Amino acid sequence: MSVLQYAFMQKAFIVGILLAIITPCIGMTIVLKRMSMIGDALAHSSLAGVAFGLLLGINPVLGATAFCIFAALGIEGIRKKTPRYSEMAIAIVMSAGIGLAGVLSGFVKNSANFNSFLFGSIVAISDLELWMVILVSVLVLLVFLLLYKELFYVGFDERAARISGVSVKTVNFVFTLLTALTVSIASRTVGTLIVSSMLVVPVACGMQIGKSYRNTLILSIILAVLFTVAGLTVSYYGKLKPGGTIVLTGVLVFVIIVVFKSIRIKYKKHKAVQ
Amino acid sequence: MKRVTGLVLTGLIAVCVLSACKPEAGEEKDGKLKVMASFYTMGDFAQKAGGDEVEVTTMVPAGTEPHDWEPEAQDIAALEEADVFIYNGAKMEHWVKDVLNTLENKELIVVEAAEDIELLGSHGHQGEEGVYDPHVWLDPRNAEKQMETIGEALEKAAPDKQEYFRENCSKYKTEFAQLDQEFEEQLEPLPGKDIIVAHEAFGYLCRAYGLNQIGIEGLSPDSEPDPARMEEIIEFARENKVKTIFFEELTSPKVANTIAKETGADTAVLNPLEGLTEEEIEEGKDYFSVMRENLQALVKALQ
Repeated sequence: MSVLQYAFMQKAFIVGILLAIITPCIGMTIVLKRMSMIGDALAHSSLAGVAFGLLLGINPVLGATAFCIFAALGIEGIRKKTPRYSEMAIAIVMSAGIGLAGVLSGFVKNSANFNSFLFGSIVAISDLELWMVILVSVLVLLVFLLLYKELFYVGFDERAARISGVSVKTVNFVFTLLTALTVSIASRTVGTLIVSSMLVVPVACGMQIGKSYRNTLILSIILAVLFTVAGLTVSYYGKLKPGGTIVLTGVLVFVIIVVFKSIRIKYKKHKAVQ
Repeated sequence: MKRVTGLVLTGLIAVCVLSACKPEAGEEKDGKLKVMASFYTMGDFAQKAGGDEVEVTTMVPAGTEPHDWEPEAQDIAALEEADVFIYNGAKMEHWVKDVLNTLENKELIVVEAAEDIELLGSHGHQGEEGVYDPHVWLDPRNAEKQMETIGEALEKAAPDKQEYFRENCSKYKTEFAQLDQEFEEQLEPLPGKDIIVAHEAFGYLCRAYGLNQIGIEGLSPDSEPDPARMEEIIEFARENKVKTIFFEELTSPKVANTIAKETGADTAVLNPLEGLTEEEIEEGKDYFSVMRENLQALVKALQ
C-alpha cells in the first residue's frame, strides 16, 4: 500500500487512530454533560499558555498544559455555580482564553517560537510528539476503563450518582484533568480542528444509531477510527488538507445517518398508517 | 446646573479630542525626516539611504512574520505624523490600501518600493492568476532598485538634502553589485541547482542565479501542507539528491523536519529577509550580512 510507504504517513495513521480511540471516550461524557464546545475553549486557552510559557521562559508545552488544566477546572467551577447553563461556562473561559492569548502574544518577541507551538498538523509529527500522544492515550484509556461506571453515572445524572455513593467531585476532577491533558497535547500535535471535532462528531453519530451507553461508545470509537483512516487516505490521494478532510468526513457521515434515519421513520409511520 | 456642567464637559472633551487629532505640523526639532517602513528590509533600506537625516520606524515588530501582520491603532497614529511611508508592494502588505484610505495625513509621501520592478508570477501549486511573488528584494539587483526608489522619495520629502541621499545610495550601489557578484561567482560552479524551501519566497534569487526552488508551501508560509504535496517533495528530494531542506527562522520548522527525516537530508535556515529577530538586530545583522549567510547556506547545500 503506497499510502504507508512514508514514515510521516505512518505516524499520521498511528497518532490519528490513537486519538480516534480516546477522544470518543472523553467526548461521550462531554456530550452528555452538554459541554460539546469544551474542546475549542481548552485549545484556545492552551494558546494563552504557550504565550505565557514563552514569556516566562518555561517550556511552552508545559505552560499550555497548565493553562488547559486551569481553564478546564475554571469551566468546571463556573458550571457548578450555574448548573443549568453549563455552555455559558465554556463561553466565558473561551473568551478569557482568546483574549489572554491575544494580549500575551503581543509580548512574545519571537513569533517563530510561537508559531511552531501553534502549528499542529497530522502530517508533520515529530518523534517526541508521537511518544507524548502514545503516553497520553494509554493514560486516558486506563483511567477511563477504571472509572467506566462512575463516568457513566455522572454523565447522565450527577445528583443520582452522588446519592448512590459515587464520589462525584473526584470523578469530575480526574475527568477534567484527562480532558485538559488530551486537548493540550493533541491540539499541538494534530491541530485544534481535529481535536475539538473528534470529541463530538463521532459521539453524535454513535448516538443516532447506538442503543445503549456501551453500544454508543463502541460505535463512536469505530466511527472515529473510520473517519480518521478514510479522511487521511482521501486527503492523500485527493491532494486535500488532511485536517479538514478528516473532520468533513465525520460531518458527512453524521448527515447521512440523520437523513437515513428520518427517511426510515417516515417510511415506518407510512406503513403503520396503511 | 446639570446641563451647564454637561455642556462644559462636552466642550472640554471635544477640545481634547480635536487637539489630539491635530498634531503639530512641521518638521521635528532635530530636523530629521520621520520615515515609517512596513517591514524589516524596507526599514533597513530606508535607514541606509537616509543615513543620519532620517528617523526610521519599522512597523512589523522584530521577530514577527509579516505576511499575517496587521497594523494596530498606534501604527496608524504614527503614520498620521510621519513624513514618508515606505512599503514593498506587490501584495506583500495586504493592509496598505485600507490604511492609506483612512489616513488624513495629506503631506505623507507614499513609496511603493517594488513599483519599478518587473514582477514574477507565482508558479507555486497554490498559484492563482494574477498572483505575484512579492519577495523582489532577494535579488540584490532588485534590492538596489528598491533603495533607489526609496532614495528618490526621501529627496522629494527633503529636497535640501538631495545630495546626501544620493551619496548614500551610490555608496550602497557598489555594495549591491559586489553582493551580486559574490552570489554569481560562488553559485555558478556548483553542481546542485535545486533547493527545497519552506515557502516559495526565493523566486527572484533563483531566477538571478539559475537555481530552481521547490516550495513546501506556496507564497505564504504556515499553512497546513497536504500529504500528496509532501510526497511530491520527498520524491523530488530523493530523485535529485537534495541534501538540505531549508526552513525560515520566523516560521515553524515542523514540516521541513518531517521531510528531512524522510529523505535523510539536513535542515538549514534560508532567510527570506521578511524580518529579523531582536537578537539578530542587536548582533548588528542587516540585509547584506543575512544575504551572505544565505549564500553560505546555499553553497553548502548545493556542493
